[in-house]
Amino acid sequence: MTAALVAVAAYGGALADVLARAGSAAAFLALPAALGAVALVVGLRHRGPGIAVALWLGAGTYVAFAVHVEHHVDATAPVVALLLLLATELAAWSVDERLGIRAAPELALRRGIALATLALASLAVSSLVVALSAVPANHGLLWTALGAVAAVGAAGTGVWVARR
Amino acid sequence: MTGFASRRLPLYASLAAAALVAGLAFGRVEPVALAAPFVLALVAAAAGQEPRVSARLALERERALEGDEVKATVVLWSTGDVDRLELALALPAELSVDGGPARALRLRAGEERTVELRLRCERWGAFPVGPVLLRARDVLGLRSWEGSAGEPVRLRVYPGEETLHSLVAPLETQVFVGNQVSRARGEGIEFADLREWQPGDRARRVNWRATALRGELWVNEQYPERNTDVVLFLDTFAEVRAQGRSTNDRAVRAAATLARAYLQRKDRVGLVGFGGFLSWLVPDSGTRQLYAIVDTLLTSDIVHSYALRDVTTLPPRTLPPKALVLGITPLLDHRTAAALLDLRARGYDLIVVEVSPLELLHPGLASSTELAHRLWRLSREALRWRYEQVGVPVVTWRDEVPLAGPLEEVNAFRHLARPA
Repeated sequence: MTAALVAVAAYGGALADVLARAGSAAAFLALPAALGAVALVVGLRHRGPGIAVALWLGAGTYVAFAVHVEHHVDATAPVVALLLLLATELAAWSVDERLGIRAAPELALRRGIALATLALASLAVSSLVVALSAVPANHGLLWTALGAVAAVGAAGTGVWVARR
Repeated sequence: MTGFASRRLPLYASLAAAALVAGLAFGRVEPVALAAPFVLALVAAAAGQEPRVSARLALERERALEGDEVKATVVLWSTGDVDRLELALALPAELSVDGGPARALRLRAGEERTVELRLRCERWGAFPVGPVLLRARDVLGLRSWEGSAGEPVRLRVYPGEETLHSLVAPLETQVFVGNQVSRARGEGIEFADLREWQPGDRARRVNWRATALRGELWVNEQYPERNTDVVLFLDTFAEVRAQGRSTNDRAVRAAATLARAYLQRKDRVGLVGFGGFLSWLVPDSGTRQLYAIVDTLLTSDIVHSYALRDVTTLPPRTLPPKALVLGITPLLDHRTAAALLDLRARGYDLIVVEVSPLELLHPGLASSTELAHRLWRLSREALRWRYEQVGVPVVTWRDEVPLAGPLEEVNAFRHLARPA
C-alpha cells in the first residue's frame, strides 16, 4: 500500500510540475496527464496494463511540454524522468507484494536499496545528458548518429534481455 | 530453468527507443534525458545471470490423521547468488499451509537453506505433495527464471475415527475363536444352560450342585466365544457435497471406524466399494487388514456411472456365508438399494446405516422445488419401509451426531424385533 501511494505521489508530482509550468498549454496537457493518473490507479488496483499506459501518457505529456512549450533546455528533465521511473517501479513492487508470498524481511530492504541505487544512477546519467547538451555541437552528424545508435541499442537491449 | 522477462522490460525498451527517436526528430535533449533511466534499468536487467538452484523435499511422516499437521522440509541450494527465490509447494486442495504454500528468500552462492512448511490435513485421502515450484528473480524483478525441483512425495491422510463403546452383534458367528459370544452352545466361558451328563462329557463340566439336588450327573453348557465375518458395504455411486462436507466423507469415516472396532475384536472384516468403480477386500483379520482397508478407503471416490451392477458382479469370497453386512449408504442410488435388498434375500444379516444427506440439501424458495424436495423425502421413506418389511434395520446417521447413536438404535431394533 505504501509503495502504491508513493508511486501515485511520484507520478502526480512529476505531472503537476509540468502542468504548473505549461501556462496556457496546461489545458491541453491536463487531459493526457489526468488519463495517465487514472490509468495508474486502475493498474495498481487491478494489476492490469494500466501502469504501462500511465507511463506512456506521462512521458508523452512531458515530451509534448518540452517540445512545444519550453523554448530552452528544461533542467528538470532528469527529475521528471526519475519520478516516472520511480512511479513505475514502485507500482510494480506494490503489485508484487500482493501475490501473497511470505517473504523474508531482508528482501524488501534489498529491493529498496537497489531501487534507490538505480534512482541515483538514473539521476546522474540524465543530468549528464542534459549537461552534455550545453556543449557546443560542432559535429551535428556525429551526435545524430550517436542518438540513432542509442535508440536502436535501447530497443535491441530490451529484446535481447527479454529473449535470454 | 526457463527464463522470463517482466512486462516492464519491453515497456522500458520501447519507451527509451521512442524517446531517443523523439529527441532526434525534435532536436531536443529532454526526451533523451527521459530515456536515460529506462536504458539504465535495461542494462541492470541484462546483467542478471540464470541461477542453478536445486531443491529436495521431505515429509516428516508419510501417514497422518485428518486434522493433523505434517512438517514438510524443503532444502534449497544454489551455485550462484539468487536475489529473490520464490518457492511454492504444489499441494492438493485438501492440504493447506498457514500463510500460503509460497515463500520468498535470498539464497547466496553455495549456501544451503532449509524451509519448513506445516501442512494441515483438512480431509482424508492419498495425496501427492510437491514438486517444489521455484522462481528466481533479480532484485528489481525485471527478469525471472522458473522451474520445478524435488520429486513429489506421497502423503496418506487417514480419516478421523469416532469412539464406539459397543458394536452391533451379528446374528451368527463363525467357527474361529474370537470375542463374540456365540448363540450356539459349546466350549466357552459364558454359562448357557444345564443338561444331563452324556458319555464323552468332561468331568470338569459336571455341575455338582445340580447333580447333588437331582441325584444324577448334570453338566454345564456354555456359549463359546467365536469371531464373526463383517463386510462393510460402502455405496460409492453418488454423494451430496456442500459447504466442504459430503456424505462420502462421512461414509468413509464410518467405515474406517467400524473396521478398526471389529478388527480389535478379532473379527474378520472385508470391504466392498460398490459404485462406478468396484473395489473389494476379502474378509481377513489383523493390523495388516486394517491398513489395507483404510488404504482402499482413501481411494474410494465417487465415480459416476450408468452401468447396471448387482451383487453377482462381486467375487463370491468377498461375501462369506453368515457374514454381517453393514451397508453404509446415503440411499441416493437405486442400484445400491436393489443390491442390498438382494443381499437380504440371499440370507445375509444386513444392517443399513443411512448417511443422511438431508442436512446438506435445502429446498429452494419456489413452490415447485419445495414440492420436489418433499416427494424425494417421501421416496426415501418408502425405501426405508421396504427394508424394514424384510427385517433390515435402517438407521439414519445425521451430521454432527456420533456414530454410536445409530448403532445403539440397531441394537435396540434387534432386541425388540428378534429377527429370525
